[in-house]
Amino acid sequence: MKEYWVLTGSFGSGKSELVLNLALEKAKKGPCTVVDLDVINPYFRVSERGDVLSPAGVELIMPPFALEKIEIMSLSARVYSAFAPGEGTVIFDIGGDDVGSIALGQYKPRFAQIPPDKVKVLFVVNPLRPTAADLESALDTLYKIQYVSRMDITGIVNNANLAGETELSHLLQGYELVKALSRETGIPVWGTCGTPEVLRSFEEYAKAHDLDPAYIGKYQPIEIMMHRSWDKFLKEGL
Amino acid sequence: MAKKLMKGCEAIAEAAIQAGCRFFFGYPITPQNDIPEYMSRRMPQVGGCFLQAESELAAINMVYGAGGAGARAMTSSSSPGISLKQEGISTCAAAEVPCVIVNMMRGGPGLGNIQASQGDYFQATKGGGHGDYHCVVYAPSSIQETCDLMPKAFDTADKYRTPVIILADGLIGQMMEPVELKMNDNPTMPDKPWACQGWDPKGDRPRAVINSLYIETEVLDDLMTRLNARYDEIRKNEVMVETYKAEGAEFMLCAYGTVARVCKAAVRILAEKGVKCGLVRPITLWPFPSKEVHDVIAQDSVQGALTVEISNGQMVEDIRLAVNGEKPVEFMGKGGSIIPTAEEIAERVMKIMRRA
Repeated sequence: MKEYWVLTGSFGSGKSELVLNLALEKAKKGPCTVVDLDVINPYFRVSERGDVLSPAGVELIMPPFALEKIEIMSLSARVYSAFAPGEGTVIFDIGGDDVGSIALGQYKPRFAQIPPDKVKVLFVVNPLRPTAADLESALDTLYKIQYVSRMDITGIVNNANLAGETELSHLLQGYELVKALSRETGIPVWGTCGTPEVLRSFEEYAKAHDLDPAYIGKYQPIEIMMHRSWDKFLKEGL
Repeated sequence: MAKKLMKGCEAIAEAAIQAGCRFFFGYPITPQNDIPEYMSRRMPQVGGCFLQAESELAAINMVYGAGGAGARAMTSSSSPGISLKQEGISTCAAAEVPCVIVNMMRGGPGLGNIQASQGDYFQATKGGGHGDYHCVVYAPSSIQETCDLMPKAFDTADKYRTPVIILADGLIGQMMEPVELKMNDNPTMPDKPWACQGWDPKGDRPRAVINSLYIETEVLDDLMTRLNARYDEIRKNEVMVETYKAEGAEFMLCAYGTVARVCKAAVRILAEKGVKCGLVRPITLWPFPSKEVHDVIAQDSVQGALTVEISNGQMVEDIRLAVNGEKPVEFMGKGGSIIPTAEEIAERVMKIMRRA
């Protein structure tokens, strides 16, 4: 039976980056499909990284016109094929904030037919983003996403980052936020993301300072494939 | 404040709020939608006013109203929307209403596309609206610089009672970069005795009138003389320009906005090939840094210059006027939002210098 991952979160929290990394990981073990459900932002979307996904054998379902540099808020009927019986992993990349999650709501009847242990709905948090910087705004976004998508979030992800300038202190900031968020909502922390180097220093710090593993979850290394720093943009374009 | 990971549009909006902007009127158009989006969330938190107008024309006229009442007011749009605002901008200039207008340039003419472009240089610097007026035009090349220029834009607008345009492109609007915002919870606002804030018949201030209609020729001429004197002051005081490795350069690149960042990479590539290339980057497009541009390009060591734009050649005209034929100035650029790469620019420079 297929396993479903749904990634939600604030706009710019790094969902697509995690989607790409998870997809490449899952594709090594079996069939994997990425569904781009972002209908609010025509720029910097996961569909642009077909060059990374296709060679790895990942099927990409994207909105019609997603790569046409225009804004047509429509979703492909092919999305329903992701709910067809089968094996492997399906990863949904949802647009940012509650407005982005509206697109998810229409698939609620399909998700309702899947056993709950086969669906992970993650809420990705980056406290370095101005719109999700503190507990109040993160809670606000989380509840709104649940409300409009009619899905229950099952895990919180610490994805604290300042793009190429990410340091240990940022992940610690993220740790405090996901801890507070988890305590407030009762939703467990699924994992902590970072580039291998930053993640390693966080792991060492966590062990040395007895950070609660319950609020760290899985250590998820991230290879940056989505975000274009200026230097990367100069080399590879958008 | 510690650094945050911000999209250009969000950073501009927050920087405007930090500069004391409490009135934002806008209308949706890509790629600047994140500015009104952000303002709609933030303005209520700081006791300000966000209003989505029924059109671009309505938005700029609301800015005229708020600015005329002495508030720091702003609107934003992208190229086609900025065209619609031109009547209002001309009116603000004539009525001496300070305000800030952000243009996240996209491809044009017409509806064009939604990618980054620099096709609105003429519109921003040579009028845009009708009549004999100027707007101060700032052209930032990074998100951080955009943030730093916002308080300056509002100060300049107030100081000279003039509309100020932030001329950025879609890339600045949509990119995310770590930025540091100078938080200022209580920005000082200049006194504006001319503003329409209610007249006290027993007070000593004359009745304030905001108006752009001057029927009598002499009266209109008085306004124009006053405006022109002010434009001279702006030309004298407000020019901003960056030069990069310009001293003793053999060749000069000229660019503004994001293209200048690409050019900096080209300068480094050329240095590796043994070519001493420099860059001159106007930060104010009006007033144009003619003297500074002239001085770096006309220096003896320089063989020629190349202006690079995401357009079919607009700023190059001002560069050529500044250089006044003393050195050859060539142009490189395309419409259709095609951004040249650093390698292409370096290759073109090598070709011009007959080294390739």
